[in-house]
Amino acid sequence: MAEQYAIEMLNITKRFPGIIANDNITLQLKKGEIHALLGENGAGKSTLMSVLFGMYQAEEGIIKKDGKEVKIKDPNDANELGIGMVHQHFKLIECFSVLDNIILGVEPCKNGFLQKKEAREKVQALSNKYGLSVDPDAIIEDITVGMQQRTEILKMLYRDNEILIFDEPTAVLTPQEITELMKIMKNLAAEGKSILFISHKLAEIMEVADRCTVLRKGKYIGTVNTADTTMEQLSSMMVGRDVSFHVAKQEAKVGDTVLSVKNMSVASKTKGKQAVNNVSFDVKAGEIVCIAGIDGNGQTELVYGLSGLEPLSAGTINYKGKDITSTSIRERSVMGISHIPEDRHKHGLILDYPLEFNMILQNYFEPRFLKNGLFLNRPAIRKFSDRLIEENDVRSGQGSITITRAMSGGNQQKAIIAREIDKNPDLLIAVQPTRGVDIGAIETIHKQLVALRDAGKAVLLVSLELDEVMDVPDRILVMYEGEIVGELDPKKTTQEELGLYMAGAKRDGGNK
Amino acid sequence: MATFLLLAEYTLIFASVLMLVALGGCYSEHSGVINIGLEGIMVMGALGGALVMNMFPGLSAPLMILAVMAGSMLFGVIYSTLLGFSAIHLKADQTIIGTAMNMLGVALATIIVKTINMQANASNPTSTLQYIAQKKLFLVKLGSFEFNWFMLISLVILAIAYVVMYKTRFGLRLQACGEFPQAAASVGIDVYKMRWSGVLISGLLGGLGGIVYIMAGVSEWKFENGVAGFGFLAMAVMIFGQYRPLRIGVSALLFGFFRALGNVYTGFGFLVALNIPSTLYNMLPYIVCLIVLTFTSKNSRAPKADGIPYEKGQR
Amino acid sequence: MEKNKSFLRNEGVQALLSSILCIIIGLIIGYIVLLFINPQGASGAILAIIKNWANSSRSTLQLKNLGSTLVNTAPLLLCSLSVLFAYKVGLFNIGASGQYTAGIIVALYGALALHLPWIVCMVLSIIAGAIVGAISGALKAYQNVSEVISGIMLNWILLYAANMILSSVKEPSDIYTLKMAKNAPQAILPTLGLNSIFNNHQYVGIAIPIALIAAILVWIILDKTKLGYELKATGLNKNGAKYAGMKENQNIILTMAIAGGLAGLAASCLYLTGITEWSCATASVPGMGFNGIAAAFLGGLNPLGSILSSYFIQHISMGGSFVDLSIYPSQVADLISSIIIYLCGFVAFFKLMMNQFLDKKDAKGGK
Repeated sequence: MAEQYAIEMLNITKRFPGIIANDNITLQLKKGEIHALLGENGAGKSTLMSVLFGMYQAEEGIIKKDGKEVKIKDPNDANELGIGMVHQHFKLIECFSVLDNIILGVEPCKNGFLQKKEAREKVQALSNKYGLSVDPDAIIEDITVGMQQRTEILKMLYRDNEILIFDEPTAVLTPQEITELMKIMKNLAAEGKSILFISHKLAEIMEVADRCTVLRKGKYIGTVNTADTTMEQLSSMMVGRDVSFHVAKQEAKVGDTVLSVKNMSVASKTKGKQAVNNVSFDVKAGEIVCIAGIDGNGQTELVYGLSGLEPLSAGTINYKGKDITSTSIRERSVMGISHIPEDRHKHGLILDYPLEFNMILQNYFEPRFLKNGLFLNRPAIRKFSDRLIEENDVRSGQGSITITRAMSGGNQQKAIIAREIDKNPDLLIAVQPTRGVDIGAIETIHKQLVALRDAGKAVLLVSLELDEVMDVPDRILVMYEGEIVGELDPKKTTQEELGLYMAGAKRDGGNK
Repeated sequence: MATFLLLAEYTLIFASVLMLVALGGCYSEHSGVINIGLEGIMVMGALGGALVMNMFPGLSAPLMILAVMAGSMLFGVIYSTLLGFSAIHLKADQTIIGTAMNMLGVALATIIVKTINMQANASNPTSTLQYIAQKKLFLVKLGSFEFNWFMLISLVILAIAYVVMYKTRFGLRLQACGEFPQAAASVGIDVYKMRWSGVLISGLLGGLGGIVYIMAGVSEWKFENGVAGFGFLAMAVMIFGQYRPLRIGVSALLFGFFRALGNVYTGFGFLVALNIPSTLYNMLPYIVCLIVLTFTSKNSRAPKADGIPYEKGQR
Repeated sequence: MEKNKSFLRNEGVQALLSSILCIIIGLIIGYIVLLFINPQGASGAILAIIKNWANSSRSTLQLKNLGSTLVNTAPLLLCSLSVLFAYKVGLFNIGASGQYTAGIIVALYGALALHLPWIVCMVLSIIAGAIVGAISGALKAYQNVSEVISGIMLNWILLYAANMILSSVKEPSDIYTLKMAKNAPQAILPTLGLNSIFNNHQYVGIAIPIALIAAILVWIILDKTKLGYELKATGLNKNGAKYAGMKENQNIILTMAIAGGLAGLAASCLYLTGITEWSCATASVPGMGFNGIAAAFLGGLNPLGSILSSYFIQHISMGGSFVDLSIYPSQVADLISSIIIYLCGFVAFFKLMMNQFLDKKDAKGGK
């Protein structure tokens, strides 16, 4: 007798101009199982899910629900079939309450008037049943990421969805919250829900999933039982070759202090308190220091303060023996501080400028790029940009004249890194430099950071990725609610211990 | 005492105009479409109402009020489709479209009125319509206070706006589309439909505001002059009111007061004694608006996706 | 795949085609409106608008009318440059009218009350426009006030200010300001002999080359200089500009000051020729600034394109006075230009359609 499948996506092909995003992909989700979908950025996971959700229509292939073929033309159809999804970037209205977000789209109404009382009761019942604690009246922008995720899960349960899709759900959570989530997922599966778990984190997949389907560059590679496989095997299926998880580096040769921060505070833009609260630390030449922590614990504001994007509300910053607390952004840059920003679209690039104009963004004012001090020296700019593109393998349609917006995220990031490192900085502030970049490029970026350190420069890395935090730096500083709560040695600590600091459960001292 | 009543009367009627138009803008912006074209919509609404008065001068008071409202709302709604079509479907730059609508509104209304006037009387090539007798049907004497039915209608519309925004499914969905349309679409809400609703309601209320404006204090209107930046004042009222109906009501009263001063300051001995040129009073609402915005725009609560075209499939 | 480097894919060509499409649709809609008003005379009226100065039968009169069109084109070009310059830096200068009005106040007051020479009046008008622009810029930069709303408010404030201030230099029995020729000959712009080309048109003069030079300067500043690089970066991504150490707030103010200065200059380029006077009973904001928006967008947001589009807009608005005013309102010309602006909002859409069409053609054409 044939296997009972909740959802089957058979031989799905979806093309976009220039690329085949999904090439003959098959995915079969059994009832009550947790099924992982593994692949790198750009492997076609998101496209496949968008097809399942009716946001795109596949050119070829069929979708079956409980063995019967179905047509999914828009998210409403998916919803009616009982398919729900927690998106990687939550689809929550920030100024609405938790309850309003849960009922949006399926509001209980009488003559068009909202009946929130019955909705509230149903939410309360669900949250008790599955151990998902939330405050229905809290406003989304005031609550933690973990609670926002629980809101998303309740959204699916409120709609009585049977098939639950989790898109990279652990990226924003602490290790403890991840454990919690794994428990919830197992609970849900035990209650008969079928779960599709999209991830590129092998350890999590091994822990929670029953089976795993692997995609690579839009193609179907295979489906395996996690019980019968290893992390190494999954990884080579995903990448197509063996990759080293470890960043090779020699012992740090630490030199003089380059950056010294004393009692620094930065006011929060949104809330009436300090986003960074009385923080002090040093970064020395020849070492990589990593600021670790859950997103939103003051790392962004810390970097804004260091780069000059935001003024300090208290404290001092000392760079190579000079007080730069109130020095302008431009002067700090000229003094040898480079900054790979967290948000490359917001800060790092002028997206509608050609690539060559972005390559000179930090030094367009230097005499070598000007004629008579007023006019742009186009030939010199072109030559400079061509060199950076060549040396750093930045790929774009038309080289220097490509409009930056048209480039892939990974290549945009490469361009920024090329620009910032070519400045030959004494201090590099790198905020999530590998975000949205695929595995091959991540390796290269990590090597670049290590090379800079070995050349006797100071590197301040801000990262949310646990693997990166454990592998790349020489020292780890953990931030929690705007404060540095611990300093750890990556060689001596464990992910679990790191997690306790990140969650604020443990503070001070560490194993240093 | 009489001048105080007069000041109250003018304040209330100008506040009604600002409130109606600002509420219109509020619907549109909560759906995610910036409506810079309110000024043009007001002109067209004013034209619709004035044409009804011009063509059916003999109606009884209740019928006249209903017909004039219907005429102005209809013209406003039809005209607002120019914004809806371009902003929602063609993803056009909403600022340019709004600006064009403001210019087009005046040109079109002038052409229509001039043509009508010339056909009625070849020697009358003006863009002025008169409605002296018809206007009286809208007024009720309460002692020496001249009550205008539009004051009550505006108050009712304010109450409705409050209920719609916060108590109904429509309001919840509308706001979702202005804050995060992709999220709204992901739970099956038709963003295009909601944005169209927002734009058309802004046409409805903007049009109504237009007819109230040209009947405030005068009995004829020269359409070449447009509505003197009132559409933009209403936008300022909306921003100052933080896009919330009740606050919009309060800020409309404030702006209405300063606009009313220009009409009635001659009645106040101490103001006349100050010997300030009358043009300064004309400038007053605009100056107050600039000052108020200077101190309130910093913490704007504009919907997050306001003015950003929505594209299906974009995540 | 080898991308066919079609002539039609060129940005400039696409901009030109889009503009021509806007014009054609605008004229067709204008014609339809004319047909509604009176079908008999419609063809004649639309032709009269298109022909403008060519309506006259004698060549001397044609030259005179062409001259008048050019005299009015100069300020329009400057206003469109004002709008364009701001737009390139991400700001919508709907306040050009107010900056222009500020220029009028200063130019006319300087000429008629203070009896200053033309060059001083012109410089003062630039400064006045720049100050008004800078106010909008500063409010935007530091207080997050939309430049659209502050611009509109300033338009009305300056309109009333003009009526108030200039009534001290008006004809006692009239609403218009004093005639320049009689009362301020020292402030009349030099003709540079250009008047002789246009059948001794007394108002044709230095304003026209000034406007053309301004267009070229704006083009050079935006495209070729460090300042242009900074300003455009600020306009495209304010946060990115700040990250790169640019003074983004100062850039916004500087941009609005330059835009305002151009609009202020426009005022002296018109009023100091003496071709027109200010009516101290003006009840609506001068249309020059709004037409500047039309010209800027119709010109594809290119300073050199603005030269053509400004002439065209002025051409049809002057053409509006040649229609039979006993049948048709002269606002038909305004109607056409506002429809053209409306359509300019779709230029991105037109280009998209054009590229999709070309893609399809390429795909069909095979390799």
